Amino acid sequence: MVAVNELQEMYENMVTARQYEERLQEEYLEGKQPAFDISAGPIPGELHLAAGHEAAGAGVCQHLRDDDTVTAPHRPHHVAIAKGVDLKRMTAEIFGRESGLSGGKGGHMHLFDPNVKFACSGIIAEGCPPAVGAGLAAKQRNTDSVAVAFLGEGAIDQGAFLESLNLASVQDLPVVFVVEDNDWAISMPKERVTDVENGAQRADGFGLHGARVDADDAVAVYDAARDAVGRARDGNGPSLLEVQVHRRMGHFMGDPEAYRPDEDKDAAQQRDSIERLEADLRANGVDDETIDDLRSRAHDRVEEAIEWAKDQPEPDPDDAYEDVFVNPPSGVTDSEPSTADTGGDD
Amino acid sequence: MAQQEDNASDQQADRSLTMSRAMVEAIAHEMRANDEVFYMGEDVADYGGIFDSTQGLLEEFGRDRIMDVPISETAYLGAAVGAAQEGMRPIAELMFVDFFGVAMDQIYNQMAKNTYMSGGSVNVPMVLTAAVGGTYNDAAQHSQTLYGTFAHLPGMKVVVPSTAYDAKGLMHNAIRDDDPVVYMFHKRLMGIGWLPAPDGPKTGVPEDDYTIPFGSADVKREGADVTIVTLGLHVHRALEAAADLADDIDVEVVDLRTLVPLDTETILDSVAKTGHLVVVDEDYRSYGVTGEIIASVAEAALDDLEAVERVALPDVPIPYARPMEDEVIPGTDDITEAVRTARGDE
Amino acid sequence: MSGTDDRVAVETSDRWPDDADETVGVVVNWFAAEGGHVAEGDAICEFQVEKVSVDVPAPATGTLEEIAVGEDEEFERGHRLAWIRPA
Ligand SMILES: Cc1ncc(C[n+]2csc(CCOP(=O)(O)OP(=O)(O)O)c2C)c(N)n1
Ligand SMILES: [Mg+2]
Repeated sequence: MVAVNELQEMYENMVTARQYEERLQEEYLEGKQPAFDISAGPIPGELHLAAGHEAAGAGVCQHLRDDDTVTAPHRPHHVAIAKGVDLKRMTAEIFGRESGLSGGKGGHMHLFDPNVKFACSGIIAEGCPPAVGAGLAAKQRNTDSVAVAFLGEGAIDQGAFLESLNLASVQDLPVVFVVEDNDWAISMPKERVTDVENGAQRADGFGLHGARVDADDAVAVYDAARDAVGRARDGNGPSLLEVQVHRRMGHFMGDPEAYRPDEDKDAAQQRDSIERLEADLRANGVDDETIDDLRSRAHDRVEEAIEWAKDQPEPDPDDAYEDVFVNPPSGVTDSEPSTADTGGDD
Repeated sequence: MAQQEDNASDQQADRSLTMSRAMVEAIAHEMRANDEVFYMGEDVADYGGIFDSTQGLLEEFGRDRIMDVPISETAYLGAAVGAAQEGMRPIAELMFVDFFGVAMDQIYNQMAKNTYMSGGSVNVPMVLTAAVGGTYNDAAQHSQTLYGTFAHLPGMKVVVPSTAYDAKGLMHNAIRDDDPVVYMFHKRLMGIGWLPAPDGPKTGVPEDDYTIPFGSADVKREGADVTIVTLGLHVHRALEAAADLADDIDVEVVDLRTLVPLDTETILDSVAKTGHLVVVDEDYRSYGVTGEIIASVAEAALDDLEAVERVALPDVPIPYARPMEDEVIPGTDDITEAVRTARGDE
Repeated sequence: MSGTDDRVAVETSDRWPDDADETVGVVVNWFAAEGGHVAEGDAICEFQVEKVSVDVPAPATGTLEEIAVGEDEEFERGHRLAWIRPA
């Protein structure tokens, strides 16, 4: 059984993520209409939104503490929000501002918040090995923290993931691999890239626990994650949890999705884990007023974060030369070489 | 018949193409001529390549020859190596060159070395295509060119086109070449709607096939005072700088077009004329293209050199935020300044 | 060919993506220049609407006499992009 307050927390996280991304989308499109120029506007570069994935982030992270490690892939916002990443500084990072999590060096695919042990990588499946390393550290140090690697179903054909499963399994590490299966890897439908429909079966081949659950029911994700995270925390080894989610949008902003059948797009819109969880809340006796409160709290938090981020200064161009090392050895470029120093002799 | 073809090509002189369309035209031509040519990569079929590298090819050639593959770069790039060793002519695409790390063994220990290790009894006639470059705020994992990395490791021919005309001729040559060729196309030059190209890469392109031999640099602008040696996107930035400087300094712009083999002769001829060498590269500064070009000239013609400048990416990962990315990626102003410095007028 | 010397307009309405709500497009690329020869059916330009790129085939063989909407310029759906003098 799930306590109602936990359901409320999940609901708030999911609504926050949805509203956040709706606002990011507006900001992102500024300066990109009618001509979509990816380098224009207040948020340039790629932007991968996670509408339809929220229950995976919320249901899993509900069981995590600040000292548990999470690695996320290129589609990280909903997981970051559920893990408790500082929303203001995350937003400033996405806007490329000086007070962003990384001072504007990382951007939306590379969010790092060591306070809650959250990190991202834009290279498919490459967050898995570091999560195994975090699990290794926890085991060696005899703490009961766990590590969770999020990845897409397209990433489970990647060596880095399969090797990580094996290493985590053979060493009984406290790691949970969470596969967000949205049926698509950009334009490639799952059935064209793997013959195994249930990705959790990959677990069988490596001797770890596997489960698959449908995120339409956020409570089911919560339950499955409780089991997987609980095993890891109790020293019972790693798990692979595949969560069926839906991609409500294009792969990235600007994806015309010409490859995707209309029925599939429509189907993704029909199934909304947020609405379903709201119904669950009501069934558990939560009244309209409380739900409205949760929604408006999410709304205020999102607006506050975006307004704050947009007020932050841009980084100094010369900041680019800092942070290559924490302890810069001498002789390494820490500022642009002046052409005069190396210049001509006439 | 021949007459008609002549007429046809006269008319086609009026036609200009974007770089992506020119590449695709060459690939389609080779695929029609040779059943053993096929293309594999992520999102190359229905999507037509994230950077339009395979637009329209699926319709003509079908899924067996325009092949979407799982996100398993080691497996499919390695499969291209194996198929090439069987005598086929695979073209395999790495969506962003930044992902090379996932599959580097297949690239540099297998593809690049098998010919040599077999004493020349095995050859690997494949093309590895990869999108390169920054300037649109995609941050450190999606913006590199890595020209120097591939050119450094022996056994691969390395091609970097800067115009549609060159892209087509070089692609024909790459597919027909009996050795492995790494064909690196700059995203900013492809002529994609959402990533506008500068003026310059779109050129007239003959409809008939033609090859541009490897190791033939192209003097894109003649000049008497300073030689700029560069490649890719920076050919166009150098031409812009040359135009800006035209009243004071007569700049020659040499487009390398291939890094391996390197056309030192054209560079030396130019430096013999101008005495002033500026090398411009979008790759990292240290241990890279700029150092290599300057060392080659110094070795062969030290006496010709009055001044040397290099303009490259400083030794930092590429930052996300606009002010910092603009700072590190060489701009037209940086080139202008380096040319002036080389001439001793600051 | 009609045989008249009336100019033929290059139009986009029949190429407009079905699901686009947007009525403003942007010309992304011209593949032919003013005064150049074009062949019926060949893509002569490309426009973008709601991030979708669409090729526009030449409606006639002849000379591209006038380009009305240049690269990077916006236009309303239905607006003529160019005129061809049929040969
Ligand atoms: C090693 C590597 N290969 C390819 C890519 C390009 N890429 C980015 S996202 C993506 C699809 C990922 O699909 P999936 O894992 O299912 O995640 P989703 O985007 O569906 O959430 C690809 C191929 C990459 N970033 N890294
Ligand atoms: Mg997916």
